[in-house]
Amino acid sequence: MKAAIRHLKRNKGRSLLTLLAVLIPVYTLVFMFGFASANLRDMFETATNLESGHFQVREISERAIGGTLPLIDDVAPILEILDANEAVAWRTIRLDVPALASVDGRSQAIFVQGVEPETVVRITPIETLIVEGEYLTAGSRGAVLGTELAKMLDLSVGEEVVLLAAHPEAAMGVLKVPVVGIYDAPDASMGRGLIQVDLASARQLVRRPTAATAVVSMVQDVTGPWDVDKIDATADEVRAALPSGLEVVDWRTLAPMVDSYMNLMRPMLFIIAGVFFALGALVVVNTLYLSVMERTREIGLVLALGSSRLRVMGMVMTEAAILAIAGAAYGALVGIGLILIVEAFGGIPLPAQFANVFRSMGMSGVLHLRVDTVNAILAAVAMPVVALLAALFPAWRAAQFEPMEAMRYVE
Amino acid sequence: MSNDPLIRTTSLEKTYKAGNIETPALRGIDLEMHEKEFTAVAGPSGSGKSTLLHLLGGLDRPTGGEIYLEGQPMSDLSKDQLAKLRLNHIGFVFQAYNLIPVLTVLENTAFVLELQGIVRSERIERARKILGELGIEEYAHQYPNRISGGEQQRVAVARAVVTEPSIVLADEPTANLDTATSLDLIDLMRRLNEERGSTFFFATHDNRLLDRVNRLVTLVDGKVDKDDVRRPA
Repeated sequence: MKAAIRHLKRNKGRSLLTLLAVLIPVYTLVFMFGFASANLRDMFETATNLESGHFQVREISERAIGGTLPLIDDVAPILEILDANEAVAWRTIRLDVPALASVDGRSQAIFVQGVEPETVVRITPIETLIVEGEYLTAGSRGAVLGTELAKMLDLSVGEEVVLLAAHPEAAMGVLKVPVVGIYDAPDASMGRGLIQVDLASARQLVRRPTAATAVVSMVQDVTGPWDVDKIDATADEVRAALPSGLEVVDWRTLAPMVDSYMNLMRPMLFIIAGVFFALGALVVVNTLYLSVMERTREIGLVLALGSSRLRVMGMVMTEAAILAIAGAAYGALVGIGLILIVEAFGGIPLPAQFANVFRSMGMSGVLHLRVDTVNAILAAVAMPVVALLAALFPAWRAAQFEPMEAMRYVE
Repeated sequence: MSNDPLIRTTSLEKTYKAGNIETPALRGIDLEMHEKEFTAVAGPSGSGKSTLLHLLGGLDRPTGGEIYLEGQPMSDLSKDQLAKLRLNHIGFVFQAYNLIPVLTVLENTAFVLELQGIVRSERIERARKILGELGIEEYAHQYPNRISGGEQQRVAVARAVVTEPSIVLADEPTANLDTATSLDLIDLMRRLNEERGSTFFFATHDNRLLDRVNRLVTLVDGKVDKDDVRRPA
């Protein structure tokens, strides 16, 4: 070991190159996995928070995508099942009703979303997006709408909007609701087309006092898309307990783009990792081979003195192992350090035009990074393993030297 | 001294081939070497001295004849077995010192003991002892490039004898040394031969050294021309 370290010090340039051949792929992969992981988490959180929750319980129906959800007449049995399941962190009732919003002859087709303000605030970002007035409060009637819709209908906080329900399963209802808040929606279609009202008002609109279209549920201890197994397990348990006519629809169905992105991202990351590993391995082979050739006479001497060929291989492999392990450790540290520094400064803000593209995909306008521990460890372990496999060739080559020929070798 | 030879060669031949050209280096050598001998093999350049040493040391294989080390034929041995034989039975001193540059004098000396699997404390003790015997203990922690050629060759001798091999083979050990240093080195080897009973067989073309040996084998054109025992070992 001591001799191996001295050999490495003897040719600092070459050793540094080999070290970098491991360090750079590990650092890049840790950073890249950190970037991908944070963005997947953002997409997942945005999708599950804004739209779907982790899963929803709904009435089974054959309907077109984007069509109206059937009404559940009484949600009490569903709530009982969800409340009995310890893995369900919490749930909130939602009643989505297609409707017409009207003010002084100006009308706009919208979706009314009846919500329980006290629980829905945990998944809807609307409360934090309020730019005028305030968000819905438990026990009081009111509506919040996007700035785009407020502009189209020329509505301000304190004025009333007339809602005309158009749910196919319900009688047409009309309701006048006071606007209590206006929010700045992250995406324009939401800002134009969604009004949130308290659940009681929505039920009044469809004239069904216990109705809902979905019970949105969130599962305990889910911190990102890497915890989907917990969601799947809980969804299966709830599904098994539901009476007939009801179904569990999970986030994959509700936010298919996120699922597709995740399914695409994983193999892509592994392909990129493979390319980095291959490039790193090539540099390791090259530099170690040169190092072996440079020391041909010395290796010949060691063999002449009676060293076994296995030991000669071990000498080269020890040097490779020192560089590979040090390179991986430094690479991981640099990658993780950079992620922590970037996050300490609140991420990387994107220029406006890119930020809008990201927002339209359900992500934030700031690039975040996250230490993806599992993949960081994977990169920091896999790269040295690849480097050591690559080092086998120069090590084997060294072990094949004929002692006298090697000792006569002239560079 | 046992009457059984330590090394015996019978009709030993070595022919180098380069394409269709064959160059005979040894043309049938019959020799016996006994324990505690201090033998020089002399002869003009190209007479086959180095080739003979390489064959005796298991560093190369003969193209004809046989070598017996302590009665065992060497031609039956695999590469790995030859490596073990070199490690445990033969000490080498090369013309160009051939020390490992990243190891200190002490580590170079102890290196072969490490190859033998001897524990660190014992190999350090044995290496220090031999360095002391050869008067170079003060350089124990120096790297080879910090000491003179003569001192480096003493380290090479120390490395060769530290394992207490059956025989030490030295290929022109004084070729790169001045006269005084050469004589010192040969005297040192002679002292080891007398005090420790180490058997030496070394190639040289330096006539100044020959009056210090007790047996002189002269090669000419790959054959033994003279085998002159001067006084009992």
